[in-house]
Amino acid sequence: MSTITLSSAARARATGRHFVPRLSWLWSGLFGCLVILNIAPLIWGILTSFKGQADLFRFPPAFVSFTPTLENYERVFLSGFGGNLGISLVNALAAVVLALVLGLPAAYAFDRFNFPLRRLLFLAVVASIPLSIGAAALLIPNYVYFASLGLTNTPIVLPMLYAAHQLPMAIWVIKGTIEGIPRELDEAATADGCTTFQILRYVILPLVRPALGAAAILVFVGSWNEFVASSVMVDSPSLRTVQPAIYSFIGFFGREWGPLTASATLAILPILIIFALFGRLMVSGLTKGSVKG
Amino acid sequence: MRPSATAYIYIAPAFALLLFVLFSPVIYGFWFTLFRIEYGAPTDFIGLGNYVRLIEDPTLLPTLSRSGVFTAACVVFTIIIAMALAVWINRLPARTAFIVQMVVIVPWIISAVVATLLFRWVFVNDIGVASYIIQLMGFDAVQPLNNPTGAMVLLVAVSVWKRIGYAVLVLLAGLKSIPDDYDEAARIDGANNWQIFRMITLPLLKTPLLLIAIVLTLSTFNTVETPLVMTGGGPGDATRILAMDVYERAFTNYDLGSATALAIIMFAGNILLVMSYVRLARWQA
Repeated sequence: MSTITLSSAARARATGRHFVPRLSWLWSGLFGCLVILNIAPLIWGILTSFKGQADLFRFPPAFVSFTPTLENYERVFLSGFGGNLGISLVNALAAVVLALVLGLPAAYAFDRFNFPLRRLLFLAVVASIPLSIGAAALLIPNYVYFASLGLTNTPIVLPMLYAAHQLPMAIWVIKGTIEGIPRELDEAATADGCTTFQILRYVILPLVRPALGAAAILVFVGSWNEFVASSVMVDSPSLRTVQPAIYSFIGFFGREWGPLTASATLAILPILIIFALFGRLMVSGLTKGSVKG
Repeated sequence: MRPSATAYIYIAPAFALLLFVLFSPVIYGFWFTLFRIEYGAPTDFIGLGNYVRLIEDPTLLPTLSRSGVFTAACVVFTIIIAMALAVWINRLPARTAFIVQMVVIVPWIISAVVATLLFRWVFVNDIGVASYIIQLMGFDAVQPLNNPTGAMVLLVAVSVWKRIGYAVLVLLAGLKSIPDDYDEAARIDGANNWQIFRMITLPLLKTPLLLIAIVLTLSTFNTVETPLVMTGGGPGDATRILAMDVYERAFTNYDLGSATALAIIMFAGNILLVMSYVRLARWQA
């Protein structure tokens, strides 16, 4: 018995190489399922949004054999969702512009200048990255503060908030790229009589475009997806953004999943388009924004 | 490096915005909680009265412990699953790995409201696909949101599902920075896959692992959307977690005093996490 056990164990060890691929197929299958699970709700949601009342409540659910209709989209637009999409777009673009215009000079100064309190101030920027992740905790204090200043329910409050929440990460991503630009370029420009602003404009700016692009995408996506601040700071329907609008649809349409999934589809469409076009840039920005080095 | 005061001109606008939006509300908020609040406006000075009232509130402790359980469960499951996925993706051929990675981060780039809504539509609804599959397998249809444990399990599931992509991304970046030679050397010494993972990969991933643990804890602990859309805090209070509690105290019960006080306490908790994040993030100045 013991010899057999031994020899079979030895054989297993010797042929181990043949076992590994078979096992790894199993794992690949399992992980493949996990990956599919990740986007299944999305695909199912998008399919649902094109179903009419009859197909919606059919059980077992129809996967592909149904008559596509746009009636859910019509209902969503009749409820003013077009306006919400417009507001969100304007807010997110304004936040992108604000974050880049403030972020680029700050990143430049942190990398290229030596000034008192530089370390401390940069530490504050780094600390603000996780601080903004937990921004929901700050939201009520933020709300009472902005309410006392009369800023709530104004068109500028949301772009300002979005930009502030994304700015530290933008500075971090942009600074990471400026670090890689040789200082000799700056020195040559200085020798030619350039001011520091001209260096920023003509030397740094053309070379940090990819980082600006990555930062812009992150700011846009973060702003577009923001819910808590958007629903707290603004309650007039004419200023309501996409995410709070969808949340209010949950109350409004109740269990009518047609309009709900239609609004969800419209809300993720811009994000998915950006992701399809700039996926690689986005991933690199996200990676840079989350771990340094 | 040029020593220059011009630098302040470059950083001033950014800091003005951060000070105004991110930092000053904390100070104002704290000041605000020292007053009795009526109709959203501070009236007379009551010192720490709002905090005392909050601590005497019998619902606070259960909410706090629910938040703790929820956050811990989310962080642990997210990291374990993300680790397995990242190791797997790292071994795939480059092109496949890229596509898989893209698919994995989709739930993370869409908004929490939409992600939770779609998750609920598929996995929870009685006319959804999951319920159909469960019935196909011969089980009775379940209404998981109607019982406290089921609701909490689903809340954890949707939170994990939403954030796995982020964790995978960071871990993959960490894995890529480990030179292949280490693996090869260990293999020549006769180490098996598990030993390589345990003795080489894991120790080298310490920093990214801690970093995602902090970020995940922060983002899960402060999440409002997921419980709001998934369960609304129910059934009863079974899934009412701290962040949602703050939100509802303020805008459902109009109790801005205790809401702000609770927010300030949460903020203090966040600061601890932020400090450990800063220690870990390698920042050069």
